[in-house]
Amino acid sequence: MQNHATKLTFFLLTFFLSNAVFAQNCTLSLRGYVTDEDDDRPLEFVSVFMEENSRGAVSDSTGFFQIDDICAGDYHVAFSHIGCSPRRIFTEIDADTLLRVEMDHSAKILEGVTVTDKQSVTGTQNAQVIGAQKITDAADENLTNILTNISGVSALKNGSGIAKPVVHGLYGNRITILNNGIAQSGQQWGNDHSPEIDAQVAEKIRVVKGVSALEYPGSKLGSVIIVEPGEIEDEPHLHGRAGYIFASNGRTHAANVQVGQTTDFAAWKVTGTLKRGGDKRTADYFLNNTGLREANVALQMEKKFSERLHTDFYASTFNTELGVLRGSHIGNLTDLENAFEREEPFFTEEEFSYAVDAPKQRVGHHLLKLKTKYFVDAYQSFDFTAAAQLNDRKEFDVRRSGRSEIPALSLRQFTYFAEGKYRRVFQNKNTLTTGLQTNITDNTNNPETGILPLIPDYLAYETGAFILFDRITNRSRFSFGLRYDNVLQNAVTITTTTPREIVRFNEVYHNYSGAAGWTYNFSEAVKATANVGYATRNPAINELYSAGLHQGVSGIEEGNPNLDSEKSLKSTLALTANTADKFTFDLLLYLQNINDYIYLLPENEFRLTIRGAFPVFTYAQTDARIYGADFSANYQVMPALQAKATYSHIRGEDLTNQETLINIPADNWLLQLDYSFAQTLRMGKIAFENLTLGTEARFVSRKKGITPEQDFTAVPDAYELFGAKIAADVRIGKNKFRLTLRGDNLLDTAYRDYLNRLRYFADDTGRNVSVGLSYKF
Amino acid sequence: MLLLCSFVLFSTSCDKEDPEIINEEEVITTLTYTLTPQDGGAPVVMSFRDLDGDGGNAPTITGGTLNANATYSGSLVLLNEQESPAEDITTEIREEAEEHQFFFISDDDSVTASYNTSDVDADGLPVGLIHNVTTTDAGSANLTVILRHEPSKTAENDPNAAGGETDIEVTFPITVQ
Repeated sequence: MQNHATKLTFFLLTFFLSNAVFAQNCTLSLRGYVTDEDDDRPLEFVSVFMEENSRGAVSDSTGFFQIDDICAGDYHVAFSHIGCSPRRIFTEIDADTLLRVEMDHSAKILEGVTVTDKQSVTGTQNAQVIGAQKITDAADENLTNILTNISGVSALKNGSGIAKPVVHGLYGNRITILNNGIAQSGQQWGNDHSPEIDAQVAEKIRVVKGVSALEYPGSKLGSVIIVEPGEIEDEPHLHGRAGYIFASNGRTHAANVQVGQTTDFAAWKVTGTLKRGGDKRTADYFLNNTGLREANVALQMEKKFSERLHTDFYASTFNTELGVLRGSHIGNLTDLENAFEREEPFFTEEEFSYAVDAPKQRVGHHLLKLKTKYFVDAYQSFDFTAAAQLNDRKEFDVRRSGRSEIPALSLRQFTYFAEGKYRRVFQNKNTLTTGLQTNITDNTNNPETGILPLIPDYLAYETGAFILFDRITNRSRFSFGLRYDNVLQNAVTITTTTPREIVRFNEVYHNYSGAAGWTYNFSEAVKATANVGYATRNPAINELYSAGLHQGVSGIEEGNPNLDSEKSLKSTLALTANTADKFTFDLLLYLQNINDYIYLLPENEFRLTIRGAFPVFTYAQTDARIYGADFSANYQVMPALQAKATYSHIRGEDLTNQETLINIPADNWLLQLDYSFAQTLRMGKIAFENLTLGTEARFVSRKKGITPEQDFTAVPDAYELFGAKIAADVRIGKNKFRLTLRGDNLLDTAYRDYLNRLRYFADDTGRNVSVGLSYKF
Repeated sequence: MLLLCSFVLFSTSCDKEDPEIINEEEVITTLTYTLTPQDGGAPVVMSFRDLDGDGGNAPTITGGTLNANATYSGSLVLLNEQESPAEDITTEIREEAEEHQFFFISDDDSVTASYNTSDVDADGLPVGLIHNVTTTDAGSANLTVILRHEPSKTAENDPNAAGGETDIEVTFPITVQ
């Protein structure tokens, strides 16, 4: 008997009814129920199609379907429904069979971004999801750019290729990115360091805009980005997809292949990505040296030793080389001012080029993970996870005497993680989760650079324990949690004065966090959620000990070994309405007070070096408040026409100095209009299914409240961008393709974005047209 | 071993090993500026020294006194005095003359600097390691010496138009009497 996997995205149970009729006589039946994954409501008008015998049915108002007179055999059953991601399930039929199928309905309603709080991983905390289709359709984009489709998420960039996500105004050391359940390690301190994750491996990317992330290692201050590869489908035949996208801006080629199979021994899936792009272009000129190369492979394996013991293994390697705009590499502040006064950056070339020279980054990120889950009984389970990561970062500057080939920064960070977790579901649906985690970070500078390191070598030991309790009643859901972390940091610094000496620091920090949440369902369609969370964050190594010239801030950066931990209190209030799929509405209000908020304070001092005078920045603490609102609404104007609006409003205040916090995104609107053809369009033997035409407009206002003393140059103006896309599933005979055509910044607007450091030097990227073709097999 | 360490949280045996103290070969610690009167007399030597590089202790700057209405031959020497003996960076600049250029900015008419046509790179464009400095009537001026890496070398003595990346930007106080 085939074991069917329980999946996050779909859920399938096969029951063999009694008195199975073994049948060469073709009298078997396939029956089942189709429900909405999000709210368990039955889905009507789902088309069910058995590929091998071309038999089909449509579900009724209870979600029920039935196909009779089937011969015994192996079948692929396709489920499709307007507004849903299609599903394809493999099943062996040797008796009358009943299927229960959940379909991801909201995935398309909100254009790939769904609002859900159903997953226990997020408890009552507000989460938004980007689905598989949206991810694969954007194979030419990086993870951060894909995430900016979610309200409340922005990108802090250094050009278009280097981008890190900002959620509710926090980024870097203050948010956690989980790749396949493992907190992504790396040089989180750098504003010009992207998360080194291949988005194409993910089946879902979830952004938890929470108040305190208790279940995960890393920062507890609130938001978590969860990249989930998704489980391998229970499918004995080799299946997969191969896709290719060409993006005109940067003439970027991106190829992606995913292949998977469930064999008797184990289930496996391999995903590979290759990307190559050249100089991007603004409305008026090429951005010299902004190309990129990327090559990634991920292997996922799942083995069920028994009904109770499941093990999965994951190995991935991510390798990238990213060019940094040549004209943004500066020696001192005069260079920065010169650069800013120019219409076009220095080193702008007439010709396009794929060359990636210094300044550039070359980063490798490698992950190994082994997870074993043991079910004691139907109500209790244990999880054991072990993982190791290596983040190998080299940054190359333009240097004298052929030294441009020697990295100016070369860091190797090993991270080892071990976790034990216990979950118990009580019969009254209450859930208890508790766990122990330990994480070791070993960071070493490679002396090959010939430059004194900005970040010292260090070892950090982090051990934490948490307990979460979830209670579901008739109309309410409650979540409570507590966590404690012990952090030991052992750093070895080198003095900036001569003779050079080694100075050691050994610090122990205690982090405490707690959260409580309550969701109340006013009706089936309307619910409200309130969350409140407290967390502390110990100062990070860069905040404590960095010393030297930091090109990323165009100044001399000095750590402060006397910093205290940050203390954060965050509250959120969410209101969600979903009226019969005609209208959905999601509003999230948040308020976060961070006492002893650590930030880079520009000292009223310029330090003289042989390269001229540099401003001095020291890490200092203040009391900060960040508050805002994320709003998204979706209205079905006609059955085929969806209108969607997303708005993010955010303010950050330095309460002590009565200033605006820097690097907090400007308010922005995203408006989208999608028209979907319900019927299949045919041109001879070619059938177009799920044909969708979409347009979008993004309005970004001017960042307010930044004083001239807080920035090198004036804050850029507001801007608007317009885009359009066409997507369709194309069937030629038995072959299935997906065709996408997308245009970004169609009016070729010249603009600069507040959160892009390149705004000091150049405009942002101009028009782009991407064409993609993928084949499912 | 590391795993064991994590449970012995307060143990000192979990310390990170000592890093290698890097020999910063590329650093320029010292700029020596020698102005030799073209019609004879003792040369004036000015200097900028920052032995510990960026950050750390402040540099020391020594200015100079020039004669009024005179012409001087300026010559620049760049050293890395963290090495022993000191490494002469001037030769690196000379070897990559096409990628380097000095610029001179004076905030007062009493001192002006100009390129010497004898000191050019393979393309015939100025380098500036050797140049001329002319004084007029008595006064005082701040003369800024700028070395740019990969500038546009056709910009004459205009660093703003030339772009590139600043390797040196040092201001010498000069008295003309």
